[in-house]
Amino acid sequence: MVSPQSTEELSEILSNERGSVVPVGASTQSHFGNPLRSFDCAVDLKQLNRITEYVPADLTIHVEAGVTLGELRRTLAENRQFLPLDPWNGPTATMGGIASANSQGPYRACGSMRDWIIGMKVVEVNGKVSKTGGRVVKNVTGYDLAKLYTGSIGTLAIITEISLKVRARYERTVTAIARFETLEATETALGLIRTSSLQPVSCEWVGPEHEVWLRFGEHPRAIDWQLKNLPPAQWNVTEGPDEDAAWERLRGRFSALGPVVAKVVGLPTTMAEIVAVCNPSGWIAHALNGIVFMSVTNAADVDRIRTNHRVVVERAPLEVRKEVSTFGLSDAEYALMLRMKRAFDPEGRLNPGRHVDGER
Amino acid sequence: MRPEIIKKLKAIVGDDCVVSDETELLVYECDALTLFRNKPDVVVFVTRTEQVAAVVRLANEHKIPFLPRGSGTGLSGGAMAIAGGIVIELQRMNKILAVDVENRIAVVQPGVVNLHISQAVAQHGLYYAPDPSSQSACSIGGNVAENAGGPHCLKYGMTTNHILAVEAVLTDGSVVRLGNAAGEAIGMDLLGAIVGSEGTFAIVTEITIRLLAKPQAVKTLIAAYHSIEECSQTVSDVIAAGILPAAFEFVDAKTIEAVEASVYRAGYPRDAAAVALIEVDGFRDGLEETGNQIVEICRRNKAYEIRVAKDEEERAKLWMGRKGAFGAMGRISPDMLVMDAVIPRTRLPEVLAEIDRISERYKLPVANVFHAGDGNLHPLILFDSRQADQVDRIFAMGEEILRVCVDVGGSLSGEHGIGCEKKEYMCMVFSDADLATMLQVKAVFNPEGLLNPDKIFPTRRSCTEIGKQTTTSTAEIEKRIETVLRGNAR
Repeated sequence: MVSPQSTEELSEILSNERGSVVPVGASTQSHFGNPLRSFDCAVDLKQLNRITEYVPADLTIHVEAGVTLGELRRTLAENRQFLPLDPWNGPTATMGGIASANSQGPYRACGSMRDWIIGMKVVEVNGKVSKTGGRVVKNVTGYDLAKLYTGSIGTLAIITEISLKVRARYERTVTAIARFETLEATETALGLIRTSSLQPVSCEWVGPEHEVWLRFGEHPRAIDWQLKNLPPAQWNVTEGPDEDAAWERLRGRFSALGPVVAKVVGLPTTMAEIVAVCNPSGWIAHALNGIVFMSVTNAADVDRIRTNHRVVVERAPLEVRKEVSTFGLSDAEYALMLRMKRAFDPEGRLNPGRHVDGER
Repeated sequence: MRPEIIKKLKAIVGDDCVVSDETELLVYECDALTLFRNKPDVVVFVTRTEQVAAVVRLANEHKIPFLPRGSGTGLSGGAMAIAGGIVIELQRMNKILAVDVENRIAVVQPGVVNLHISQAVAQHGLYYAPDPSSQSACSIGGNVAENAGGPHCLKYGMTTNHILAVEAVLTDGSVVRLGNAAGEAIGMDLLGAIVGSEGTFAIVTEITIRLLAKPQAVKTLIAAYHSIEECSQTVSDVIAAGILPAAFEFVDAKTIEAVEASVYRAGYPRDAAAVALIEVDGFRDGLEETGNQIVEICRRNKAYEIRVAKDEEERAKLWMGRKGAFGAMGRISPDMLVMDAVIPRTRLPEVLAEIDRISERYKLPVANVFHAGDGNLHPLILFDSRQADQVDRIFAMGEEILRVCVDVGGSLSGEHGIGCEKKEYMCMVFSDADLATMLQVKAVFNPEGLLNPDKIFPTRRSCTEIGKQTTTSTAEIEKRIETVLRGNAR
């Protein structure tokens, strides 16, 4: 295990390393991805924990990969700013880990991690340091390789620095939660939300109890208007510390899903059908995105759902991940990603087996 | 182009869909960046994905360069056939294939004009957000290739944030589908890499886009200033107040002069040093207060005239001046070069002052009209292409302006792309190693380099040698970098 203090030190280490290399952050995502095949050298990135630059007036922040989401939030909060994401793996996760796993949570109205990254610095397996993007909020200079690194579970290169866009905090946020009797009643309510003028920043459907969680962030009066125009139900409205605590509870609910969590990617209008057919014991769905995280039991369940839908294994014990591929890639995706992996890491030494090289 | 190739192309797309006449080809010798010109050998008009794939396979078989083209409105030479070869013209693939109102998505062909999408879905209260100034002419395929922006990407993001899935023809002629209607990247975000690859990774033949609900209300105003600094400070103060405007545009005195003398006359105060065009949108409730808050910030920064659009007609008029600004320049100058740099928005005043000094030194006027909210500058260098010495000067001047922007932490392009225009300047922001990694990715998608060659990457020998005017072909530099890479791998 090595703990580099800087990008340059990591570069030095990797240029002398000949074995397999495994980057490690806060280990909040170790149940995600295909099983690791081998490792000779673990790279602990937690020492890369500096916020290198923060210019509130530019709405940009530049952090090293080991900075935690919690620390980022605290720093931004001092200037009434925030990163509009709340990945399920929570405040102890590192920004490098969140980017590598493309982690996400209920906060989906403003996109996912990929949409907030404006630049990255990485170290490739041979020690070569390269950057992509830049430090400004809008940029089309050169290829946007940050998109490729995001979600590649550290198999193309090790992310060491990330530049992010951020936003001013909303003047007010409010959460409304309601429980519905049946799947049909929930689907009706969600349909009304989808076709209404409401613009929740989060819209989660939690099962099997059929709760709908809506979070609004806006001008206070715009929030009042939205609360007045909710679809008919017994809405329980919270704000302030209670609101934060409620979402923290939902994060707990997410952690309790399992033993295998399948992320089924559909459409907002097909979610009810997905849930009805799969009949999971518990689920949380990003209802406005058509993405359902559901509890399933084993690899066979994943395979069965895959006959009709795109499924990513979001979280599973090692034995299950040995049996079923994480991403379920199409032939075309598999071929392109494998070529990409080989271009960056011809000897397959970086996080071997965790991504495309462990798919088939 | 050899007659047998022309014959084979005609067999793929039909006799009347192949243009190889020297005079007719003149139309395709450049895009909206008219300073760089080269005629393709042949242009084929395709109507179906299979035709694109067949043309690509043919090009591969005979090692002929090829590139896609939409409306030809690009400003960096992305659709210019720098190495000749085959232009695959996608304008006739212009159907909106599906609109899914409830899921707020649409499936379109690449030749569909950007604005036509919003017009087609307006009846459902929806629209497509990215709005480049050329939106009434530019194609969505071109937007995807360049990751196009526009005034409203300050709040709503660039093209890449609105593309959910594509069907694409790869350089070997195979057809793939990447992404999904949920916009959820599965595994590596290959789609995210293709968007903005300036037509060098793949040819996109079908695009699934995100539609947004039209905001309930919009408030648009202009504020006129006697000084550029006061206008720039307003940007920072609005952002610092936690307001996220839908757009924040900056129009300088020279631009006002041109606009007010043209058909795009918007009624901007003619004596202003700068005019800010600010728009906020969202829920009706609360928008009035936000608008008032902005007016207050403008006043505090000494805006001497503030005009709030009373209705849609007035709003359209205020925008007409901004959107027509590039076209209006013809009133005051025979030619212009549109630049597209980005700087951290807090550095606006000093950079604008420096651009002014550079303009004086080179004795070529510069008009500034740009997206101030995200620091995306568009210095317009005004010149006369009939005078050879001026043409020489604009390149040196453009390079100096870019250097100033890069030195404050900025970048070469915010929304127009690098293309052939700025490829020699890439070394200002990227090292040899950065470019080598990009070429490594390019080689995955485009191993033989036949798709849209000689774009984006510098042709000079290397970044460390920039300044020396040694020119080599892109193929040579790619080979050189490859050698370096192989050395590293060992």
